[in-house]
Amino acid sequence: MSLAAVTRLEWRRLLVRPLAWVLAALTVAWLAWNFTLLLGGFLASQVQRAAQPDGPGFVDLVGVPLLGQLAQLAFLVVPLLAMSTLAGERRNGTLPLLFAAGVPAWRIVLGKYLALLGWLLLWLALALAMPLALAHATHFDWGKLAAATLGLALMLAALAAVGVACSAFASHPALAAAATLMIALALWSVNLGAQLAGVNGGAINWLAMSTHLQPLLRGLVSSADLAWFALLIALALALATRRLDAERERG
Amino acid sequence: MTSPIPASPRVVLRLDRIGRRRAGRVAVQELSLELQAGQVLGLLGVNGAGKSTTLSMIAGALRPDRGDIRLNGEDFLEHPALARTQIGWLPERAPVWAELSVGEHLDAHGRLRGLNGAALRQAREQVIARLELQPLARRLAGVLSQGQRQRLGLACALLHRPALLVLDEPANALDPVQAAKLRTLIREQAAAGNAVILSTHLLAEVTAVCDRVAILHEGTLRHDGPLSTGDHAALERTFFEIAMNGVVRAA
Repeated sequence: MSLAAVTRLEWRRLLVRPLAWVLAALTVAWLAWNFTLLLGGFLASQVQRAAQPDGPGFVDLVGVPLLGQLAQLAFLVVPLLAMSTLAGERRNGTLPLLFAAGVPAWRIVLGKYLALLGWLLLWLALALAMPLALAHATHFDWGKLAAATLGLALMLAALAAVGVACSAFASHPALAAAATLMIALALWSVNLGAQLAGVNGGAINWLAMSTHLQPLLRGLVSSADLAWFALLIALALALATRRLDAERERG
Repeated sequence: MTSPIPASPRVVLRLDRIGRRRAGRVAVQELSLELQAGQVLGLLGVNGAGKSTTLSMIAGALRPDRGDIRLNGEDFLEHPALARTQIGWLPERAPVWAELSVGEHLDAHGRLRGLNGAALRQAREQVIARLELQPLARRLAGVLSQGQRQRLGLACALLHRPALLVLDEPANALDPVQAAKLRTLIREQAAAGNAVILSTHLLAEVTAVCDRVAILHEGTLRHDGPLSTGDHAALERTFFEIAMNGVVRAA
């Protein structure tokens, strides 16, 4: 019950804040512009591709690259939306109100996380609506798009969890946003050196988010990749919960 | 024929040697108190005496380092969810979610306290009527004056009809008319069988509504006794003796 109340409260706060609307409007407009560019490129190359029956299709050339653009935007959008979840409450002095309502720390963290995730999935759905609008007019690889969508959803879920955790630790929302951005970039590019050196395996590559997202964007769903995202989400939410518990203990 | 033994008043709150350190110093130590149903306890003390820390612990926003808190006979530290239905808390400066309207605040607080549907609507209407919040119901909390925020905070504390009302400086920023209405409301709560703890700097506030007074100094309880109407001079003498010397001299 209190989990739903916290989720609803956070959802409402997200919806009435101009920041969420402005970010949604700007990013969807950017994605729509890119969609028309990708679509133009796809149409221009139709004659060449007619000679390659097994060549890349609409999903490969328009759908997945569009989701790739959304993944890049997520590095900016998620920190900005997640920063206030807990650091903003702390700064406002409203966090003790949640403690005093007898809501356990894990429900506060999970409730806020679910509201943020709901917003991000809605954002993903808006981006997805663009290629889906042409599903009836082209040969559509549903499996590949579903795998890429799953990958993006998991990436957003993981970044949101990292954002909530940073917000739990930060004293100021801006610090939380900066920390989320740094951690997200580190997770994305931790294996950059190894990649440049031509190393494709090992722990450093396993740590990188790109290692687990790229196969999903190519249509390959592996339980190891899903487990990596699940582990990251669980770890971040557990850390956020511990931080809030400690705050209630220490004051 | 023997006369019936009068039933002893129900103890709503029992603090047993609670203590708390904050920012490396002792904020509250060895504090024991009992509060019965229908009692109004005035909690006095100079700045930094430990009043707000004590109230935060009673409200469930902060855990004591040591000691026991029992709420209606149940171990509050073991079952912090008791706060949800049994305690209403107005923190100092009445923090609000600035982006939500007054009505949305009441809904959010009601849901956090387990109210839903018709019960929530009814409780909201009653508290809005009782605190004369109708003209403010659609206004954003962020644009309210401090006095209006106090009334909103009080409405949120009363919404779920708690057995224990914890008020931290409730008369702050209230105009004389609203302050008089607050006193009436506190007496109403006591007459309805609820216990009230009122922390304030205003001795006149205490003599007007409280039937008991506790004085904290440097985190310890220095005085706890009944208060009769017209005891203002005696209370003032006691308070200043404790505040200046830390002790009450024998009469």
